[in-house]
Amino acid sequence: MAPSPSTAADAPVLEARGLAKSYGQVVALECGDLTVAGGEIHALLGSNGSGKSTLCKILAGAVKADAGELLQRGRRITLQSPSDARDAGIGTVYQETSLIPALTVAQNIQLGIEARSRLRLVDSGRSRREAVRRIEDFGSTLGIRFGPDDIVGDLAIDQQQLVEIIRVVSRRPSLVIFDEATASLDRVQVDGAFALLRRLREEGKSAILVTHRMDEIFSIADRVTVMRNGRSVGTREVRDVDPAALIDLMTGAPADAPPVSRRAQGSEQPILTVRDLSSDAFRDVSFALRRGEVLGLGGLQGQGQSELLRTIFGALKPKSGEIEMAGIPGAPATPAAAVRRGLAFASGDRKRYGTFAIRSIFENLAIARLAQSRSPLVSRARLEPRLMQSISGAKLKFGRLDDSISTLSGGNQQKVVIGRWLDTDPKVLLLDDPTKGIDIRAKRDLYEMFSVLQEKGLAIVIYSSDATELLEIADRILVINGGHVVDELKDDRKTEFELNAAALKGA
Amino acid sequence: MTVDVPRRRALNVPRSPLWLAASLVVLFSLASVALQPTFLSPRVLQSNLSTFLPLMIIAVGQTYVILGGAIDLSLGALVSLVNVVLVTSLQALGADPSFAAIAACMGMALLVGAAGGAVNGVLVGVLRLQPIVSTFAAGIVFGGIALWIMPQAGGSMPPVYAKTYAAKLFGVKGATFMLLSLVAIIYLISRTRFYIYLLAVGSNRPAAFQSGLPVMRIRVLSYIVAGLFASVTAMVILASTSAGDPLMGQAFTLGSVSAVVLGGTALSGGAGSAIGSMLGAVLLGLINNVLFFAQLPFVYQTIVQGTIILAALAGGIMVSRR
Ligand SMILES: Nc1ncnc2c1ncn2[C@@H]1O[C@H](COP(=O)(O)OP(=O)(O)OP(=O)(O)O)[C@@H](O)[C@H]1O
Ligand SMILES: [Mg+2]
Repeated sequence: MAPSPSTAADAPVLEARGLAKSYGQVVALECGDLTVAGGEIHALLGSNGSGKSTLCKILAGAVKADAGELLQRGRRITLQSPSDARDAGIGTVYQETSLIPALTVAQNIQLGIEARSRLRLVDSGRSRREAVRRIEDFGSTLGIRFGPDDIVGDLAIDQQQLVEIIRVVSRRPSLVIFDEATASLDRVQVDGAFALLRRLREEGKSAILVTHRMDEIFSIADRVTVMRNGRSVGTREVRDVDPAALIDLMTGAPADAPPVSRRAQGSEQPILTVRDLSSDAFRDVSFALRRGEVLGLGGLQGQGQSELLRTIFGALKPKSGEIEMAGIPGAPATPAAAVRRGLAFASGDRKRYGTFAIRSIFENLAIARLAQSRSPLVSRARLEPRLMQSISGAKLKFGRLDDSISTLSGGNQQKVVIGRWLDTDPKVLLLDDPTKGIDIRAKRDLYEMFSVLQEKGLAIVIYSSDATELLEIADRILVINGGHVVDELKDDRKTEFELNAAALKGA
Repeated sequence: MTVDVPRRRALNVPRSPLWLAASLVVLFSLASVALQPTFLSPRVLQSNLSTFLPLMIIAVGQTYVILGGAIDLSLGALVSLVNVVLVTSLQALGADPSFAAIAACMGMALLVGAAGGAVNGVLVGVLRLQPIVSTFAAGIVFGGIALWIMPQAGGSMPPVYAKTYAAKLFGVKGATFMLLSLVAIIYLISRTRFYIYLLAVGSNRPAAFQSGLPVMRIRVLSYIVAGLFASVTAMVILASTSAGDPLMGQAFTLGSVSAVVLGGTALSGGAGSAIGSMLGAVLLGLINNVLFFAQLPFVYQTIVQGTIILAALAGGIMVSRR
């Protein structure tokens, strides 16, 4: 039954009907329905583990569905592999990037479509020029800080994400899928990426946008499909809904009351003092952190915030300056020393600094506690209830504790990365874009957990690429630009306007 | 609209462990010259090349497997197998075979090597068995077949085979010709898509799959390539020994892995070079040479040899860690 040309033209670019996928006992996707029209940006929203990535992976040919069907412009298609999807004009930017760390930026961008000479050998000069053209054409608005010959594995996570975006978008797919591709990007970079999406939309191409950031949906998407527990539960025109309605749909329950306003038990005695700290990435940073306080680090991505946090944690060496913790002077020489002194560190770059990918969920949770403990023996029977208790607030969705952590959805992995520290009784928690990929509800729960710990005196230093989050949880914000603290925002100057102004000052 | 696209770190030179292998080769060459004044004479160079060449070839083959993030522990046995197949078939030709017949035997040798590689490729690439264990086991089988074909070392060969190798063609001997071909082949392979995809698979297999690369085919092909190099190794050895030996390949398995690692290729895959492995193989040969001419008491030789290799390896790690 071949569709007539006219219906084919009106038919949705891609339609998924009743897609399902299970991994053993775990049902990752129960009934995925999604219809993407031509020239549409279609958002996909849902809690962590609701099946968004699984749905995207099926559309990308990376995972084979157990049931359901896919129609492209009214015609049934089957995708056996990622290259099938590529040939069908579907390009995907994954939640965990699929770049090759050992290759250069240019090689990654051209991977699979290398220019070849008459002898069918790779024409590396032409390939590189082609990549440079793509970088110039699509990267100019993205705030890139890499060259075509940089090794991808050496780049920061946001820059890697940009490489992947350029790689996918520059191949001009008729449907591009962004699975939380913007999660590690700052405002300016997100705007740049969205400009690319708009450009595609003007050309009549379509996009699927998975994101946990409500503002992104309202700034760019035309329609939104909400997923809950592996099912698509509704599709709405974005202009007809508001965030609260979407959250209701996401959770299947009316939205909570706004979170209780935390009160930092600010004592005057600083727990962590940093004086004139400098390294290659930042200069002359000074602050005093009081018990119970939340200090935000603001600014665009990659202005030295991560390096600052990792220096305080003893993972990088400072060039000069002093760190004093709980009255004991001296920077911790190694992360192990930092942990023993009551510091904790969680990064949103979970693949690099967070998860032990082939190890179990349990081990990934227990590792921080074990790093701190002096006992040579491990009692799982004692450890397990404690750990489960300490992360109970995070609503971790998992099959069995002994499954490998890579079976968790991205957001749930991130909960483990943060959650492992909660039982170690840290005095200072260093957070480097920690809630990346965590859904709105679970974020609230995490903030709750933080505030409980704050009442016991925990202090937090947090960098976040998400301005809303920073403004919500930080008591004051140091805005970092080019490695310098350019402003300190508190009280009535702690606003989105001031934050953006300071972040962009002189940039 | 232009973007500032700086061309940075195009070659990554100072961190490349290749330079360490190269400098060590120079160092041990100097030591050789000091201990053996004739070291640089054409005759000695030629004979050293013939001695080192088999390990150089097999190490290049091993490189492609290791770059893909796997390992081939059957290569030594495969060399033995090809060796006995080649000897047995050449023997069957009689004393004065035609050129075409010899070429056919060599073609068959290549097929045997490719088939052995394909077996490993299927075990690792298709069935996704662990490379270390499955190629080790396959190697036992290959060795067993070699013993079955030729239970004892020996055999006599048509002299024309070795003679051709020793003869001069365009002024160069067979070994030199092989060396040049080896470099040319390495260059050609490095310019194929297969090579880039191999690096991709070795560096991050899930990402390579998600990028739409034919991961399974690439892994199988890397083993077949290694198998072909094993065949060539066996042919070269046969040209200088003129006899078959079902156990002769044994030392090549770990020898090739050592050469690859000394040459700066990461055992975890994704980074390294076949030229480095050639240097690694030369280095291993030179170390033996120096130890021989230093007239160390035999009982200490192995200890010193192992210590030097360890030191070179540690040096490589230090350099790349910087
Ligand atoms: N390879 C796997 N093996 C076992 N379970 C899996 C696997 N991949 C996903 N799952 C499970 O399937 C469910 C859906 O996962 P999916 O990654 O699609 O969620 P998601 O909606 O993308 O969540 P997030 O917002 O956290 O990224 C999760 O409960 C997850 O644990
Ligand atoms: Mg996901």
